[in-house]
Amino acid sequence: MTTNVPDWDSLPHALLHRAHSTPDHVALRKKDLGRWRSYTWREYAERASAVAAGLRELGIGPGDRVAVHAQNRPAWVIADLGIQALGAITVGIYPTAPTAEVTYLLSHSGTVAVIAEDEEQSDKALEARASLPDLRHVIVVDPRGVDLDDDLVMTFADLETLGRRASNDLMTDLAHRVEALDPASVATLVYTSGTTGPPKGAMLSHANLTAAGRNGERGFNLRPGDEVLSYLPLCHVAERLISEVAALASGYVVNFGEDSDTFAQDLREVQPTFFLGVPRVWEKMMATVTIKMSDADWFKRLLYRMCMRAGSSVARRRWRPDRFRPFDAIVRGVTWLLVFRALRRQLGLARCERALSGAAPIAPEVLEFFWTIGVPVVEGYGQTENTAQATVVPVRDVRIGTVGRAVPECELRIDEGTGEILTRGPATFVGYFRDEEATAKTIDPDGWLHTGDVGELSDDGMLRIVDRMKDIIITAGGKNISPSEIENQLKVSPYVREAVVIGDRRKYLTALIGIELDTVGDWAQKNRIPFTTYADLSAKQAVVDLVGEWVASVNEQFAQVETIKRFVLLPKELDTDSGEVTATQKVKRRALEEQFADLIEGMYS
Amino acid sequence: MGNEAVATPLLEVRDLTLAFGGVRTLNGVSFDVGRGELLAVIGPNGAGKTSIFNCLSGVYRPESGSIRLDGNQLVGMRPPKVAQLGMGRTFQNLGLFTHLDVVDNLLLGRHHLMRTGYLSGALWVGRAKREELAHREAVEKVIDLLALTPYRRSPVGLLPYGVQKRIELGRALSMEPKLLLLDEPVAGMNLEETEDMARYLVELRTLMGISMILVEHDMRLVMDLADRVMALDFGTPLATGTPTEVQQDPAVIAAYLGGAA
Repeated sequence: MTTNVPDWDSLPHALLHRAHSTPDHVALRKKDLGRWRSYTWREYAERASAVAAGLRELGIGPGDRVAVHAQNRPAWVIADLGIQALGAITVGIYPTAPTAEVTYLLSHSGTVAVIAEDEEQSDKALEARASLPDLRHVIVVDPRGVDLDDDLVMTFADLETLGRRASNDLMTDLAHRVEALDPASVATLVYTSGTTGPPKGAMLSHANLTAAGRNGERGFNLRPGDEVLSYLPLCHVAERLISEVAALASGYVVNFGEDSDTFAQDLREVQPTFFLGVPRVWEKMMATVTIKMSDADWFKRLLYRMCMRAGSSVARRRWRPDRFRPFDAIVRGVTWLLVFRALRRQLGLARCERALSGAAPIAPEVLEFFWTIGVPVVEGYGQTENTAQATVVPVRDVRIGTVGRAVPECELRIDEGTGEILTRGPATFVGYFRDEEATAKTIDPDGWLHTGDVGELSDDGMLRIVDRMKDIIITAGGKNISPSEIENQLKVSPYVREAVVIGDRRKYLTALIGIELDTVGDWAQKNRIPFTTYADLSAKQAVVDLVGEWVASVNEQFAQVETIKRFVLLPKELDTDSGEVTATQKVKRRALEEQFADLIEGMYS
Repeated sequence: MGNEAVATPLLEVRDLTLAFGGVRTLNGVSFDVGRGELLAVIGPNGAGKTSIFNCLSGVYRPESGSIRLDGNQLVGMRPPKVAQLGMGRTFQNLGLFTHLDVVDNLLLGRHHLMRTGYLSGALWVGRAKREELAHREAVEKVIDLLALTPYRRSPVGLLPYGVQKRIELGRALSMEPKLLLLDEPVAGMNLEETEDMARYLVELRTLMGISMILVEHDMRLVMDLADRVMALDFGTPLATGTPTEVQQDPAVIAAYLGGAA
């Protein structure tokens, strides 16, 4: 059986192929009212085709922008592929985006129709309707509580019905539409949340997405039996690759959990075979294990420690297969039976044989932890502007601290003058929507994409990321320091959720540190320290001391100029609503520096 | 005909009187609740608010007066029968089984709707199986509506108080009531939990059209949600009307502030 789609040049094309070759295989699953419901490839393709036909009936055509504003669910990907099949352009909006941001995105993109999840999301678009002259339709997936008499509003089900009525044969229709698509045309706008400035709409073409699909196929050897859980925001390019691009390329099953609060439970039920996490997710899982184990009885703790020690040395040898000894396989088997099987089942990673970390740099300790318990997490590097296609760590040649080698269809080099990482290839984006100036700054005349990251390339092509160019700290003494390395080291502690290192043009380094409420709260209870809120807990001297000890131990790993001289604990949890972190949990450094300017100045006086 | 049915109120209470020994807790209380209406009952402690609920749900038998729900006379009926006729109730101090999980607590709320006998229930065949699946689905809809999905299989006793109050509401909703009696649904909650609860109550009304009687001390919640308010003092209605009317009523002000009217 061939598992690969031959010569596909758009995602709808691959969908059509899947629907023809394996129409009755499961493509998507969704937990609904407590039960997992399956959708086959044929249903998937027919519904996408119905969406395309329905939008056509509404007078929407190639090049028009249609937004999807929902959490991850089958309707998201069905709508996206329907929009793309029509030749229209999908604009993803983060479910957490507040009204002001939604208004900006809809207005900047000139969106003609929004597919909104429910009352909450449709209200955001309807509130701003007066300032959105292009907006003609608000299409609601879950219409409970929504005023359907409103001229702008209709249901997603009605859109599909409209499409089904207009079409004699949905599959033939889809085939015709796929035929008519120009691979070089824009398929989607991905607004980059950006840690600074207003969001920019990166235009990705059908060809960009298929190039990413080919790379993924070769890199990870994914096949129809594989299962993933779709849980990171789908408007982010990384989750789009997992839930759509690689899924269509490889034919695996995409599972959608109940909602954002049930992630841990959903993961346990799905037990995916392939998993993508952002550093925050890996860190949180590791913290959960560390804390749970510290609560266990002495026997379990002893067993855990022994297995971790044995597992760690095996893991190190697994990074270079030539060093792997037959005895290691036995050790792996024993540790798995004793501890790691149960532990991985609890995490939801029991079947996970391939895993990726991306979207931000991660501390080596975290990666090592997962390799030790037998989950081979490798780092990938990329950004929206190259459809996340730059480098990935080869599973059989892991060098922790690097982000690996260039993926098959990507050229990579370092700018001699600035040290900036440049990439070139079929996955390089088309440009920023309605922003030629920014586009020209990003793609040079030779087609090289300027990533804005500083890196070093080893002789055998391994890339090491130094930092974001604009984040590099130059101290008053003139030393160049990469804050993210120190920050990630600080975040290795289960008690530390966020760390931001400060020190640009200053005499010494300081840090803003946010504690992890769950774990520090737990610790406080055990030590009989009463507290009420996050702010109260952060202000406790005992908590400051707890974090202080950790900061001191991290300092020992760094050179004198790179040590944190003073730190403060943040009085509140950072969240996306107030613009302190992006939707993938990356801290917005500038916003934080402004907001906590007083605290920062306090550390330098 | 249709219009007439809509015009008759869902609940008609006339001249309700209740006394314990010599103490009159209710003294000729009369009111109506329309279909889809939310009536709030306010009053100081001991005004008789909970006594009204106990009479309505059949726990107390009033000395005199009548209670008609959808045309059925309830006075003298025992609580299970009253529940079957469509009276749902939440308790101020929570009426949950703390060792059971959320699903089982909600399923218990549907006990009076279950028809299967012990034997077929135990064997889980034929009708029993179909029935259980249907009940489970109804419960899942309530879980979805009240965003209880993360707690589905957690023992209720381990959950935060605000969540328990929501489960309490869910248990009452699982009964598929025509009229829901809410006894201080936000008592002891923080501001965020209170706002969440208010949103759920609004949703219940707009999505399901359930009529409700709300007893609550949180005046902001009462004034925001209620269609009409009835103010009680010493078992006697002081005033009934829109929230604004009742707030400005001199008798109500006097009872609450203790000033001479």
